[in-house]
Amino acid sequence: MELDAVAVARWLESLAKRPEEIADVFTERRREVTVAWRDGEIREARESFTEGLSARWRGLSGERLVFVSRCDEEAARQAVRAVQKEIGLSPLPVKPSRAREESAGPAWLDTDRWVKRLSALFARHAPRHRFRWTLSDVTRQVIPARGAASVFARRLMSVQGTFTAASRRGDETRDFSFHAPAAESTAEELRVMLTRAGQPRDAAVPCGEGETDVVLAAGCAAVLFHEILSHPLEAGAESPLSGLQQARLAPAEVDVRDDATRLDLFGGYERDDEGAAPLAVKLLDTGRLSGRLTDRAHATARIPSNGHARRAGPQDPPLPRGSNVLVAAGRSTADEMLRRLSSGLWIEEIDGGSVELASGRFRLRFPHARRVRRGKRADECSAGVLSGEILTVLRSIDPGIGREVHAYRALAWCARGGQVVPVQGAAPDLLVRGFSVRPVL
Amino acid sequence: MREATTASAIPPEAGFDRLCEELSRRAPGEWELYRKSGESLDLQATAAARVTIARREEGWAARWWERGAPLFASGSSPENLERALAEVSRIQTSKEPSPAWPTAKSPERKTHGAIEPPPDLFEELQRQVAAESRGEARLQRLTLRRGASAERIVNGRGLDVFLGGELLDGHAFAIGRKGSRACEASVVFRWDQGPDLESLARRLADRATLPLSDKPAPMDRGEWLLEPSVGAALLSGLTPLFCRDALPKWVHRAELFAPLVRIADDASADALYDGEGTQTRRVAVVEGGTLAARLHDLLSARRAGAPPTGHGVRTSYRVPPAPGPRRIFLEADAPVPPRELLSRVRRGLFASALTAAARLDFERDRYEAEFTGIAVIGGRAQGPVAGARARGRISQLLRRISGLSTDRQFFPMPYPAGAPTLLVERVDFD
Repeated sequence: MELDAVAVARWLESLAKRPEEIADVFTERRREVTVAWRDGEIREARESFTEGLSARWRGLSGERLVFVSRCDEEAARQAVRAVQKEIGLSPLPVKPSRAREESAGPAWLDTDRWVKRLSALFARHAPRHRFRWTLSDVTRQVIPARGAASVFARRLMSVQGTFTAASRRGDETRDFSFHAPAAESTAEELRVMLTRAGQPRDAAVPCGEGETDVVLAAGCAAVLFHEILSHPLEAGAESPLSGLQQARLAPAEVDVRDDATRLDLFGGYERDDEGAAPLAVKLLDTGRLSGRLTDRAHATARIPSNGHARRAGPQDPPLPRGSNVLVAAGRSTADEMLRRLSSGLWIEEIDGGSVELASGRFRLRFPHARRVRRGKRADECSAGVLSGEILTVLRSIDPGIGREVHAYRALAWCARGGQVVPVQGAAPDLLVRGFSVRPVL
Repeated sequence: MREATTASAIPPEAGFDRLCEELSRRAPGEWELYRKSGESLDLQATAAARVTIARREEGWAARWWERGAPLFASGSSPENLERALAEVSRIQTSKEPSPAWPTAKSPERKTHGAIEPPPDLFEELQRQVAAESRGEARLQRLTLRRGASAERIVNGRGLDVFLGGELLDGHAFAIGRKGSRACEASVVFRWDQGPDLESLARRLADRATLPLSDKPAPMDRGEWLLEPSVGAALLSGLTPLFCRDALPKWVHRAELFAPLVRIADDASADALYDGEGTQTRRVAVVEGGTLAARLHDLLSARRAGAPPTGHGVRTSYRVPPAPGPRRIFLEADAPVPPRELLSRVRRGLFASALTAAARLDFERDRYEAEFTGIAVIGGRAQGPVAGARARGRISQLLRRISGLSTDRQFFPMPYPAGAPTLLVERVDFD
């Protein structure tokens, strides 16, 4: 059930009298079902239905946020009153409390149908497994003091866990991670990914230590750009990219943008968490550093919000964050990429990454890789870490870029300042020269 | 969380009776109902601005065995829990025997009145970080949170217990700079005895400035002296060993650690019951170097045919309880002052802070820890080490602990984990 936007906006008026002041009420209703399978049996099922709202004021001297785990007009009024008191305004008069409005909640999650489909899919393609599937339905409403209110919803699903795959040296346990908006085609996409993840592999050897050329294939280059462009270009972030606007940092063939309007990807949304419609933002335009990810708090007359205010939930204030990082296609086929690489590592999975913005150092962890010798695939390699520095790596990107762009469904959650939000990306195969690599456990 | 002692009574349990009836109807005697209400005030300070966040949250959760199969539902109100409960019961999970439910009763807890805002310590910490780092590090952000909570757990066998507590914790972020080089330091902390700015400033300064030296480890093998926060992080990494059903093949219970090591878990100062209503007690997990006990919740105890140990942990009302540590710590019979441990280092490294999470592979008996610190020769500090990595077999690391000091401190992992300065012999570095 939505709040009465006109009434709530009226309550917020006194909080946003000055042009630099921002005030809003943000609500969220979240229904989440989680089912755990082990070798075809459903071992655990749980469902959660939560709701909450917060009132926020932001001015030159700081920000105030009040959260309550309810989602009705009485709670909104209480939260607005508390913020008004905090900043020294006279609060709204107390209204006698009414019987609590019954919230309708989002529609039924269609769990039965998904559970049957997934049970069959797991039994056929990965009969020995420990998978956890989560389907979440989130509806949010933003009522700003100035401007139109908005309501938006997302339905996301995740499958994570391990399964036993046959390899040439016997059975082995492999990790699996898949995140996508829940749609009719999602089950088929999951089937394809699961089949690919279960393909036989040779016995792995350590990946060696030192500098090597690396192809980031199957879309996993999205994780690299998420770390080295999305995070440093969040408004307010200080990094080696600060002050380099319009500088040529990478070959002219490299185009990267952040696009929240791609609703087929896990990080997409129709409205950001301040109610603004998101715009696709060019981060690297023909190799030149271009836009930044902004929200209303960091907007200026010259650079308005481009719809990247994001919150983990109503209990947190919004921060400017990335969504879906997209790398434009080049012209090279996979064979050409192999030839260009000649000798090095071919990596199709990255299962974690981090960046230290002050120094610009980052690291990406890969669970396995394939060594390439003289343009031919050779040994299977075990897990390792790629590390480097943002500006150096951008300069080391080879201009020959793959021509097929792949969504990278293993990239899903990004944490910053204790707030975890959904993200994703898509990228073609990308060759980076002289990456620093070392094996890990 | 420290025990709450004062102020008003718990608010009326609207919906509690209705939910108990519904659960009794679905699973007579085989259910548990949990309710938590919490309040917190955050103050996030930077040089330019202050952000305050007030949160008031309520959470409800139920776990029950319907037709012999376990189910779990949660919600932010009794009505939401009822809805979730009705919907999840449509999923048929496989059957599993229910646990032996506890039956304790405790008097109703008193909760706090309005909680005090956390103090604004940004300027003071800023000064101390600058002093500790000789001006090389600057505090960027300090977030302090003060919170209080009240919990009630009821089950179908008559359990009805109340818990409550309060907390002061936070997160500090600093940046060290030297010429064109920069390094970030991020430290989470929890203050049980009030603010301890001195120790926090030292940790931030070390973490932000030692890596700026750019000096590698001057040795590839030697003694490893671990600052308490590093020891606590390693202890936290080892806790899956104390909770898992099957131990890895390399684990020999009798000689898992060096004989001087004792590890215990005792949260009785924090709460009288765990998240399932089992009474809290001290459990000696490692005694004289021997793995002596496991930490159990109700379900793991039932599966192992052992009594529960009071380690059913709820990390949130949204997830079912699971076995885990609640306040775990290292101790020794004859701890020595930290200086004495330092003097025992002939040639080694002092790990002042981890620069990445320690990795422990229990299946392959391997560990790897990246840290920044100081080279030590003949018991004397030789100079900073920007980054080093200790690696090897977990089994050897644990058996080569040769000293524990008297300076034990607790760190949020997020449960409190306590460690003193530790000395480990014959460690490989790179």
